Amino acid sequence: MKEAKKIFKTALEEGRTFVLEHEAKDIMKAYGIPIPAYDTAITAEEAIEKSKAIGFPVVLKILSKDVLHKSDAGGVKINLKSEEEVRKAFNEIMENAKNYGKEKGIDVDLSRGVFISDFADMGTEIIVGVTKDPQFGHALMAGLGGIFVEVLKDVSFRLIPFTENDAREMLKELKAYKILEGIRGEPPRDIDSLVNVMLAVSKMIAENPEITELDCNPTFVYEKGKGTLVVDARILIGSSEASH
Amino acid sequence: MSCGNTESIDIFFNAKSVAIYGASASQNSVGQSIIQNFIRPQYAGKVYAINPKYTQVLGVPCFANLQEIKDPIDLVIIAVPARITPRVFEDIAAKGVKASIIISGGFSETGAIGTELEDEVVAIAKKHGIRIIGPNCIGVVDTLSHIDTFFLPEYRCGRPKPSNVANISLVSQSGAFAAAISDWTSELGLGVSKLVSLGNKCDVDDDDLLCYLAEDNSTQVICYYTEGYDQDKGRTFFDTASRVTPNKPVIVVKAGRGQRAKAAASSHTGSLAGSDSIADAAYKQSGVIRVDNFEHMFDAAKALAMQPPAKGDRVLMITNGGGLGVMTTDALEDLELAIPSPSKELTEIYKERLPSYCAIGNPIDVVGDANASRYDIVFEEAIKSGEYDMFVVGMLLQTPGLSMEITNVIANHQRQSNLPFVVVSMGGGFTTKAGEIMELMGVPTYATGEKAALAAKGLAQYGEIKYRDKFNKTLISNKP
Repeated sequence: MKEAKKIFKTALEEGRTFVLEHEAKDIMKAYGIPIPAYDTAITAEEAIEKSKAIGFPVVLKILSKDVLHKSDAGGVKINLKSEEEVRKAFNEIMENAKNYGKEKGIDVDLSRGVFISDFADMGTEIIVGVTKDPQFGHALMAGLGGIFVEVLKDVSFRLIPFTENDAREMLKELKAYKILEGIRGEPPRDIDSLVNVMLAVSKMIAENPEITELDCNPTFVYEKGKGTLVVDARILIGSSEASH
Repeated sequence: MSCGNTESIDIFFNAKSVAIYGASASQNSVGQSIIQNFIRPQYAGKVYAINPKYTQVLGVPCFANLQEIKDPIDLVIIAVPARITPRVFEDIAAKGVKASIIISGGFSETGAIGTELEDEVVAIAKKHGIRIIGPNCIGVVDTLSHIDTFFLPEYRCGRPKPSNVANISLVSQSGAFAAAISDWTSELGLGVSKLVSLGNKCDVDDDDLLCYLAEDNSTQVICYYTEGYDQDKGRTFFDTASRVTPNKPVIVVKAGRGQRAKAAASSHTGSLAGSDSIADAAYKQSGVIRVDNFEHMFDAAKALAMQPPAKGDRVLMITNGGGLGVMTTDALEDLELAIPSPSKELTEIYKERLPSYCAIGNPIDVVGDANASRYDIVFEEAIKSGEYDMFVVGMLLQTPGLSMEITNVIANHQRQSNLPFVVVSMGGGFTTKAGEIMELMGVPTYATGEKAALAAKGLAQYGEIKYRDKFNKTLISNKP
């Protein structure tokens, strides 16, 4: 995938081992992974125009090589419903980023502006991630978000690449699998579309072994037939010589 | 990666001539213990000692170096101080020997200087195509060829025997465990073909042995004890195992469920991973059966060596004692095996053919006055019905009515149906003896219902690995 390689090259040239959110989304899109509509904007006016095109409500996030943990830097504003809210959010994000820079003693690069995305409807929260183990190489992790992953560590793993059967087994291994099947009158979730996301991530890693870690968190899976959306993605990379 | 190199591994187990570098006349030394193993009459090959200090050791001709020996040498066993091993390898290379086992320690396990020495030895070996097991290991035991490099005297550390029925082989990273397992299996009555201690794995590693043992006709089940793999070696083991497990069962005990690896990770996924959960996934994905400890390993290995894998998860428990039935079905249930009651039709047949006071269900209790023919009826009808994939048989021989004929009945039904059977024979000396007879007839026998249940689980697990979608899985997991 040329697209991904070009993005990794740019990142490494800028001294980054992470890719920016719009870059991550570009890569995901190239692998057919469903993501909310998104765009980028450098000015408040541009952000408003782009937000209108995507449709309210939207989310704005800082886009800078100097900010990896965006929330910590006050760089995330969600559920923006109007032009006015978008303008206000844009200006606040820029101000927060400058202050964050002052605290850290760095000059935060603001030239890339913000990342704008459709504010996705809440679904069942899933985490899909990739890690690279020194002994076994790349492995994919899946689990239900929130307390299931944070408190119960209810996650399962498979080495990449894996088969569709493996992906389904992985989900069945989760203690929380019943939630995906639908409990207490809740309709079943769209497990097929989630499996497709897992397989697409597997393919993406197999073709881009320089990815060392990846989190699709959160990923929302909706009712059966309504698909899955990867709302946020974080990709870390190593040198391109690395193999899995 | 390929498995094309098994010939170079075969020499370690079938060497026709062996030289022991560092053979020694001092009692209780490593160099003497190894010589003692090879002068036993069972080893049919030639043996030579290498040590400039002697002309003979325990009657074995001793030479200053390999060049002085006229005949070709297949395998060199090295028990000299680490610092002189590079010279030893120059000698090995000049003689044209292709296999070596370095027993000595003092290499990469000790730090930088040892690592340098190990690298030096490996470089010489690579250049001349010499394979190395070790260093820092106790080498190999082959119960068929009687190659035995364990420097542990037999009166302290027993050696296992091969069985005519079926054998396992075990590869251990740890020498101490290899020795303990040798000693233990010598008394377990479990047939063993090969034991290998890999030590530092400077050349021959888990992967090489997996390739070799997969093709070894005297190995029916491959067992591993491992603490971890070198960089990327977990992945190659995974790749090889994926190819081997459809044809031969592989069982692993892996230590190190610890959390060390988590610290280094910076992402969410990395922090949740830890190397062990990934190892766990890798084993599952490649069809390797991971068990918690050696006891489970040998219980499962014995069953897998002697019985065909199950084609489904439905177990019938037959017993002549109610307590044993309940204990065993509890254990089977915990292990997520299905214990379906006989169908209405089958129940009717049993009601007609068995005394009215037998308890028909699962377990089927043929009660304390049962003779072998009552078991015969149960097996015959259950097999005919096709309702079960596996049988766990409680054989309580304390009751006077049950004659040794029961072993024939079990063995015959097993052979004719080719369905897997495991037997529980609980008790003291008499029942243990009966269990041994049962095993000579090819059916694995255990001292408790829990152990038999673990064995049954192993047969179902391997059936699922081997038959994949065709495995008849009836039990839907009911985990919370």
